[in-house]
Amino acid sequence: MGAAPASLHSQWFDGQSPRPRAVTLRVEAGELLMQAGEDTRRYPLARVRWPERRTHGQRQAELPDGGLIQHADAAAWDAWAQASGLQDSAVVGWMQSWRAALVALAGSVVFLGAAWLWGVPWLSQTLAHQVPDSLDRHVGQQSLQQLDRLFLRPSALPQKRQDELRQRFKSLVDRAYPQGDAPHWELAFHASPVLGANAFALPGGYMVMTDELVELLHDQPDALVGVLAHELGHVEHRDGLDMVVRASLISALVGVVLGDASGFLATVPATLATQAYSRDTERRADAHAARLMHAGGVPPAAMAVFFERMLVEADKDSSPQDEEDRVSLPIAIGSHPDHLERIRFFREWRPEDSR
Amino acid sequence: MAQQDDFAPTVALADERAAAAAQALDIRFTGSGSEYFRIWIVNLLLTLVTLTLYAPFARARRIAYFQNNTLVGGDPLGFHADPWKMFRGYLLVLLLGVGYWAVSNFLPHLAWIALLVFMVLWPALWRASLQFRLRNTSWRGVRLSFAGDLKGAYLSMLPFFLPALAFVLFLPAVTEGEEMAPEVARRSGIVIGSVVLLFTALMPWLLARIKRYQHGGYVFAQQRTQLDTGTGRFYGLFLKTGGVSLLVGLVGAALVALVLFVLARGMFGDLAAGQRRALVALVVPVALGVIYLLIPLVSAPYFGARFQDLLWNGTRSDKVRFGSALRFRSLFRVTLVNWLLIVVTLGLYWPFAKVRTARLKLEAMSLAVDGPVDDWLASAQQAGKGVLGDAAGDFFGMDMGL
Repeated sequence: MGAAPASLHSQWFDGQSPRPRAVTLRVEAGELLMQAGEDTRRYPLARVRWPERRTHGQRQAELPDGGLIQHADAAAWDAWAQASGLQDSAVVGWMQSWRAALVALAGSVVFLGAAWLWGVPWLSQTLAHQVPDSLDRHVGQQSLQQLDRLFLRPSALPQKRQDELRQRFKSLVDRAYPQGDAPHWELAFHASPVLGANAFALPGGYMVMTDELVELLHDQPDALVGVLAHELGHVEHRDGLDMVVRASLISALVGVVLGDASGFLATVPATLATQAYSRDTERRADAHAARLMHAGGVPPAAMAVFFERMLVEADKDSSPQDEEDRVSLPIAIGSHPDHLERIRFFREWRPEDSR
Repeated sequence: MAQQDDFAPTVALADERAAAAAQALDIRFTGSGSEYFRIWIVNLLLTLVTLTLYAPFARARRIAYFQNNTLVGGDPLGFHADPWKMFRGYLLVLLLGVGYWAVSNFLPHLAWIALLVFMVLWPALWRASLQFRLRNTSWRGVRLSFAGDLKGAYLSMLPFFLPALAFVLFLPAVTEGEEMAPEVARRSGIVIGSVVLLFTALMPWLLARIKRYQHGGYVFAQQRTQLDTGTGRFYGLFLKTGGVSLLVGLVGAALVALVLFVLARGMFGDLAAGQRRALVALVVPVALGVIYLLIPLVSAPYFGARFQDLLWNGTRSDKVRFGSALRFRSLFRVTLVNWLLIVVTLGLYWPFAKVRTARLKLEAMSLAVDGPVDDWLASAQQAGKGVLGDAAGDFFGMDMGL
C-alpha cells in the first residue's frame, strides 16, 4: 500500500455482446477505474456488486450499467482486491474459515436442540392458546364430523347410563375447579368397532368415549372418570391444536435445514417428532388427570385398572388380522402402548408430586 | 487441484472462436463439497437465528455458488438477483403459505376458497419465478430470459388442480353427524377411484405439457428453445419406471422374507405356532420398510437420469442443441454413496452430496452451437432490448426453485 494503486488486467463484457474485451482495473479515491483501450470508465465502489471471495469458481463483478467483469484467476483477483483495500463482508470471511464454520455448526446444533426442547413446545402452546374459542370449537366440530364418518357409530348405551356417567364426571370437575374455571367440555358416547375401547378429546372440548370402553370398565366408574379427566387435560392444554402447530413447525425446521430436500426425507423427522411430542402431551394429560381426580376426591390409582385391562385386551387380540383392522388414532388414549409405565405412574402418584 | 485447469479455456477460446462451424461447448462443474459445506452451515445458522428471514439471502448465495461454478465452454454462468427483491418475494410466498396452512387446518370447510386462490395465483407465480431466475442468469455478460406467456402457464399448470377440484365438485355432501349411507359411500368410492385412475393415466401427458412450456420458453440472445420430445416417450418413461419400482419392490420383499425365515429357523429351530405368527407379523412391516428405502434409492435415480436425458436431448433452438447422457448406473452409485454417508455423518454429508450430484448431472450435459457463438450472439443482441431487460421491473423477486 501507499505506492501506486495495484492494477489488474481482466476481461469485461458490456452486457450487449458476448465478446469479451481486455480491460485494466484500478481502484482510486473510492472509485473503480476501468480502462478499455482509450476509454476510461469510473464507477463508485459502493455501486459495483463485488463477488464473494471463495476458493472455487471465477470472479464476476457487476457494474451498475449492466456490464460484467469476469476474471478467471480467482487468486489473482483476490490479491488485487486486497491490495486495493476492498473489504470482504463478515459473512464471507466466516465462510472461508474452517474454524468459524465449525463454530457455526455448533451454533446450529445448539439452536436446533433448544428449538426442539423449548422453542417448538413454547411456540405451539402460545399459538394454540391464541386461537379464539370459537375457532377452536369450530375446528373440533369439523374433525368430529370427519371421525364420525370414518370410525364412529351411534351409541348403544342407554341414555340413563350416559347421563349418569356425565353427571359423575361433572361433579368431579365441579369439585376440582371450585372457581368454575374449568374449560368448556362436551361429552359424547359412540360405538366404534374400529377404535375399540378408547376415548379422545378434540379441540373445543369435544370428548368422545366409546361404548366399548364403558363396557370394559363397567364396574369401575372411577377409572372411567379418570379417563375423562385425562381427556380434559388435553382440552385444557389445547393439545389438539398444539399438535397441528407442532407438526407444521417441525416440518418447517426440517425444510430449513435440508433446503429443497425431497418430501420423503422431510416426513421422517416430522413423524418421529410428532410421536415424541405426543408422548410428552400424554404424560402431561396423565398428570393433569391425577391432580383432577385427587382434587375431586377420587383416588388416582383407580386409573391403573384402565391400563391393566387395556393390556389384557391387547393380549387377547394380538393376532395379526385383528391388528390390521384396528386403527391407531394418535389422539386416542388407548393407542399409546406404554401401559406399564402409566400404571406405575398412577399407582405411585402422590399429591406432593404436583407441587 | 484439477480445478485450476478449468480456468484456462476462457483465454484459449478466443483464438478458436472464428474457426469451427458447429461448436461443442463442454459443461464443467467446479464447485467443491468442502467449500459448499462451509457456505451451507453458515447460511443455516443465519437462517435459523433470523427465524428464516435470512433464507432468501442464503438462497441467493447458494444459487450464485452453483451457477458461478458451472462453466459452459469455459465461461461461468452468472447469477445477479438482488437478494432484497428475493426477500420481498419470500415474504409474499410465506404469507400465502401460512394463510393456506391456516385455512386448511383451522377452517377446512373454506379450504376450497384457499385452493381456488392458490389455483389462480400459482401458475402466475411459477411463471414469474422462471422469468426472475432466467433474467438474473447470464453467460458472458448476456442475460437469459424466459419467454413463456401467461396463458401457456395457466394452460399447462391448471390441469394439475383438476383432481382436487373434482373431489370438491363431485363428492357427495355428507349431512352432519349422520351415518354414511352405503350408496353414498359407494358413489364416493367410485368418484375417488376414477379420478385417481384418470389422473394417473393423464400424468405423463400433463408433465409433458408442463415441460414443453418450460423448455419452450428459454431464450438466450433471441434463440428461443423448444422441446421436441413426443408425449409417447413420457408415457414410455413412466411405464418403465413403474416396472422398475415393481421389480425392486418384489425382489426386496422376497429377500426380506427369505432372510427373516432363515434367521428364525437357525436361531429357534422349530417354530411354535405363536412364534410363527409373530414372525409373519414382523415380515410385513420390515418388508414395507425395505421397499420404502429401496424405491427412492433405485426408482428415483432411474427416473431422474432418464428424465434428464429425455428432456435435454429434446431441447433445442435454431442454433443451439442441448444433450444429456446421464446414465442410471452413475446416478444410482452416487445416490447410494450419498445416502450412506449422510446416514453415517448424521446429515453433515448433505452439502457434499449436493455438490457431487450437481457435478454428475451437469457434466452429463452437453451443448452444441451452430457457427461462431460470438457472431450470431452479437448480431442477435443488437436487435434485443436493454441490458437489464425488464429485470428492473420486478418488485418481487419470485424464486421458488424450478
